[in-house]
Amino acid sequence: MMTEQGRVLELLLSGAFICQVSDEDAWRFIKTSGNSEKLESQLNMLNRTLASAADGDVFFAAYLTLSEKERKVIGAQFQEVSANLLPLVEWLLLIQQANGSDVPVTSGSALRLSEIQSVIEDTPAYAEQLEKISRYRMFGSTSTQLDGQLKQVFKRLTDLGYLLKPNQEKQIYIATGKIEYLYEVIRFIDETEALSLTEQAESAVQQGSLL
Amino acid sequence: MNQNMYQAGVSLLNALSRHADLIMHTYMSGTVDESKYSAKVIESLMQQDVLWRPDGESKIRLKHAVRNLLEGSLKDERNRQIDANIGSALNSLKTLAAHYKEAIYHQRYAEAEAHLSDLGEHVYALTESMSNNVRVLFSRINNEFGYVSSIDAKIRENELAQSQVSELLSQLELFRFDELSELAGSNRELRQLLVVTLQHSFSRATQELSIVQGRLLELLGRFREFRGRTRLLKGFLLHMEQKPDFAPGNYTNLTQVPMLFNQAESIIKPASVDVNRVEHENDLQVLVGNIKALNRIARGADEDRKASVIQVEEQAEVSFVEDEYKQAVEAYFCHVIDTGERLTALQYHEKQSLNFDPEVWIYQVIGGYHGLSFEEQQYFAIDTTGHPDPVYDGNFIIEDVELGLR
Repeated sequence: MMTEQGRVLELLLSGAFICQVSDEDAWRFIKTSGNSEKLESQLNMLNRTLASAADGDVFFAAYLTLSEKERKVIGAQFQEVSANLLPLVEWLLLIQQANGSDVPVTSGSALRLSEIQSVIEDTPAYAEQLEKISRYRMFGSTSTQLDGQLKQVFKRLTDLGYLLKPNQEKQIYIATGKIEYLYEVIRFIDETEALSLTEQAESAVQQGSLL
Repeated sequence: MNQNMYQAGVSLLNALSRHADLIMHTYMSGTVDESKYSAKVIESLMQQDVLWRPDGESKIRLKHAVRNLLEGSLKDERNRQIDANIGSALNSLKTLAAHYKEAIYHQRYAEAEAHLSDLGEHVYALTESMSNNVRVLFSRINNEFGYVSSIDAKIRENELAQSQVSELLSQLELFRFDELSELAGSNRELRQLLVVTLQHSFSRATQELSIVQGRLLELLGRFREFRGRTRLLKGFLLHMEQKPDFAPGNYTNLTQVPMLFNQAESIIKPASVDVNRVEHENDLQVLVGNIKALNRIARGADEDRKASVIQVEEQAEVSFVEDEYKQAVEAYFCHVIDTGERLTALQYHEKQSLNFDPEVWIYQVIGGYHGLSFEEQQYFAIDTTGHPDPVYDGNFIIEDVELGLR
């Protein structure tokens, strides 16, 4: 019989993001005081450390010390993350608009594929946007049908861990903590590169030029 | 006088019920659709102060009092009006209390009774308006300002509600219970109304308002967070539009890599099977069973079982050779019938100088004989010549067959 600690350790070592949506038990286990220290000492043995993002909403395993080999791995990961940023941001905004409530997608948001699809079908501008998004290498859809494009995008996002499909029978997806991680990445880039993205958007809204 | 007022009230309420349809339509849409209802009805409702025309140009609307009644009874969330005029209500309470005390002092008890009931009316109206105000605020919070769609509008609604809460709180500060208690003096009725009832509703209102304030701040925080996120995303998109070649610096080359981009690779690989573990025997057997099933499926793709073109010509040739044997056997049988002589198969073979292998020929003859129907077999007698096998007894080696008529 495997202990909860062993299970969480295995999840972390297999490169999983642990959040309240994806695995509540594991997430609570890490949150419980004392448990993270136990995990930490086991992870350290394998040159790993427990890392968290988005104010402790997401946990994952990071390298403890970085040598040439580790740098190569995270360098490749970073390239992937930064290449995926634009498609993901466009997708997030499309869903936010199609949802009708103007509420951004956050960890735990439920996305009903059929509702989103019917809104996008009725709005040619959204359909065009979806087509553009689905053509990105990240999603790699070749379908000419809106239905196929949307399904492919959601499937890829589920594979990448941004969404979760709790019931295989139903087309309802739940956003995981990895979405929060994504926001944090954008926020980090914003601060580090001094892009002042929020101010740009605000002035654009005031000028009424876009959005 | 009183009788007249009673009559007027009843007729007003009757008018409301008779024209309920018109009133509700007006309540929903805001103005009266004058083309749909008769001018006479509208005119009479205007006379009864149910409807009014704000000015000559504008359309006919519901009177505020009727609207208030409907909003209050229907618990309509669109109602954003908060009546925070507690100060003047308190002043009128004080005035009425003074009237009452004066009447008691001069022993005009009937008058005092009227003042007291008036005072009671005002006190209850005040408590009701306070609890109503709090309820209105709560209902708006509970569906998170669901009646407006954009986040910016929600933030504005939230700010309005907050200003209303602080307005209400500052109005509540006007309650001076020491003054009220002094005013009530030792009069039991006055104390009951001015001190007990008011204090009760005051404490409940302040308590609930503090909850409302907390919830509003919490909601505002969330809305701001949402707005911040949306702006972040839109800003990023805008930035990418202006500078399409933008790529963030590779932070993983820094000496201090931010934790955000330091994600360890997966190192867990599936473990291997230990066939010597007894407790796994059952599971392993099931697995092995699955493998067998898989093998059978895999055979479907076997190279040898692939469909191939059948060579029809070659088959025709083979059947022709068989045909030749058959014809020769038939000819042999006919020869026996024609001549009526006994003739061995090999003799016939030699006579006709057939170019089949003798052994094959003998087989064909035996086969031909057994291939006949039972009645036909009756006509022929067949006899075999040969010798028993020298080594394995019980085996008889046929050297020739002799065929004759019976």
